[in-house]
Amino acid sequence: MIQLKNISKIYGKAGSQQVKALDNVSLTINKGEFVAIVGASGSGKTTMMNILGMLDRQTSGEYYFENKVVSILSNNELASIRSGKIGFVFQKFHLLPKTSAVENVELPLIYTDHKDIRHMALEALNKVGLSNRIKHRSNELSSGQQQRVAIARALVNNPEMILGDEPTGNLDSQTGLEIVDIFQQMNRTGKTVILITHQQNIAEHTNRIIRIHDGKIVEDYRVQNPRNIAGELMKLDTMNK
Amino acid sequence: MNKKIIKSGVKFLLRHKLQSFFMILGVMIGVIFLCLTFAIGSSTEKQILDKMKGFFSSNNIFIMAGKGMKRGGPRSEGSVTTLKLEDMEAVLNAVPGVIRFDPMQTLSPCEVIYGNVNISTTIQGRSVDGEVVWNRTVTSGEYLNKEDVESAARVALLGSKIEKQLFGDSNPLRQQIRIGSVLFTVKGVLEEKGTDPHGNNLDMEVIVPITTMMSRLKNVDYIPAAKLEVDETKMAEIAEKIKTVLRERHSLNADVSDDFSVMTPVQAQEMVQKMKKIFTLYLPLISGVILLLSGIIISILMLISVSRRVSEIGLRKAVGASPKDIMLQFVFESVMISLIGGLLGLLIGLIGTWAIITKLGYTFYLPWQPIVLGVLLPVIVGILAGIIPARKAANLDPVKSLA
Ligand SMILES: Nc1ncnc2c1ncn2[C@@H]1O[C@H](COP(=O)(O)OP(=O)(O)O)[C@@H](O)[C@H]1O
Ligand SMILES: [Mg+2]
Repeated sequence: MIQLKNISKIYGKAGSQQVKALDNVSLTINKGEFVAIVGASGSGKTTMMNILGMLDRQTSGEYYFENKVVSILSNNELASIRSGKIGFVFQKFHLLPKTSAVENVELPLIYTDHKDIRHMALEALNKVGLSNRIKHRSNELSSGQQQRVAIARALVNNPEMILGDEPTGNLDSQTGLEIVDIFQQMNRTGKTVILITHQQNIAEHTNRIIRIHDGKIVEDYRVQNPRNIAGELMKLDTMNK
Repeated sequence: MNKKIIKSGVKFLLRHKLQSFFMILGVMIGVIFLCLTFAIGSSTEKQILDKMKGFFSSNNIFIMAGKGMKRGGPRSEGSVTTLKLEDMEAVLNAVPGVIRFDPMQTLSPCEVIYGNVNISTTIQGRSVDGEVVWNRTVTSGEYLNKEDVESAARVALLGSKIEKQLFGDSNPLRQQIRIGSVLFTVKGVLEEKGTDPHGNNLDMEVIVPITTMMSRLKNVDYIPAAKLEVDETKMAEIAEKIKTVLRERHSLNADVSDDFSVMTPVQAQEMVQKMKKIFTLYLPLISGVILLLSGIIISILMLISVSRRVSEIGLRKAVGASPKDIMLQFVFESVMISLIGGLLGLLIGLIGTWAIITKLGYTFYLPWQPIVLGVLLPVIVGILAGIIPARKAANLDPVKSLA
């Protein structure tokens, strides 16, 4: 589904101080995979996600999305791919202020031809277990609930690929696990899920871990026994009692 | 798809009422001003033009006491006492081409009483020549004659309407009426003239000899103005000679300006043009400037709004909004705001104009220009004001705006 060939990303103009955030990265991710990209802060994870999500363009190398060259597409064409095939979840949620949960989830549908956007948004909220919070505004929700709204927003277009950039970074460990659970469930329905995190224990819930360091892939391996969230949540629950 | 973007834009404006309000305000004020200038302008212009037409034929000259109308507006009557009846006699005798004149003197309001009927109206002082100069004669009885004027006779001519109100169906001729505290004999009934553009009903007027008016009703020895009938082929020449005669009679030195003014049809035309220019050029220009300013205000507020909403814009892009969509959203927001301002301004402006014009006693003409412009200009202002912020928003780098 996704193929990166010798991708480099350099920030800053020639002559001024430049940062090589990605250094000759090659990578293939197949449809339906559940992948974690791990690495220390500043290693280039977000840069990679921005390129994978077509929010940014690489400096050199080639990116193939469903066997098509991405670099030749216009910004409007990239927007239409993001709209139909990619869902984003961010560390900082990025919900619209003063706006209800359901209207936040409707946002991606505004840029599509879908008619019954309210119905689709409610369905997505149901999938993340927030059916009872649809009219609440962003500031009336807990951070875990806000991130669920953000996930529902990423899901609502029924995208093929979901990208999460440290989606658990602003959450406590239990809430973080609940969020990873949702990602796991989404992967089970056949979606390609790419989860960026610097927490090893979060990464171990995926099927494949790619470690980057200073913009290079230093490790890429399958997880033999991915951790099971339901069990862990139960364990946490009993510990709390 | 566009419909959903527009709906989302409306929701945003509703959620950010205060910001929307300030942007709306500017356009609203601009359009209100536009309405006022156009409506009041066109209404007063129409009154003035009609009045001019009623007053002026191509063979008429007006002489007015005082320094004339430098600024286009009529000055207050009665305060200048330098123009006398004898001046006009002298002009008639000394200037060839002056055929006749009618001096003017008005008393308003003044009570006219017959039996137990008591009506407040306008009294005009006229000479024998008023019949010709004002082109208005009597339908029954007789017009004023030389003797009436020379002896300051207490005779009166009644407008047809006031005659009906005072006398009903009985014959008014040779009946005694009271004007103010003076008794007059009704000498004739004037032909119907209807309402003049100023709203004065000419058929409610009462005409008395100018001399009677001056000596018995007003007790003055001057007149504010006179209307002359002249040979229209020598208009300019006659106007010059009148000035010479009057300056001589008023013993004005060369370094003193006229204490009277002579208005020919050409000058009247020029005056109307000048006034027209004020209403059709300068005032709309001012509203144009206000709208321009409000456009700039919208533009600046939108720019601030864009920079406050970078993360929203980045997010919209991440979830699939194209630069085109973002552009559309912001231009739409700006047009929407501007249009709301325009419509509110139109509403307030038209109601305000109607109130003012009715209060002034003028007829309200619903002007089409501000209605069309009040919708069209805000749309244009909105589009222009929105373009720069919208482009900025559309070109925002989603990566940086989500950081
Ligand atoms: N917009 C940018 N301009 C310049 N340098 C940047 C920019 N974004 C990231 N960087 C640099 O690129 C490197 C990788 O950043 P990032 O991809 O955000 O890492 P991570 O997400 O793993 O913390 C860092 O050194 C960071 O300082
Ligand atoms: Mg990062």
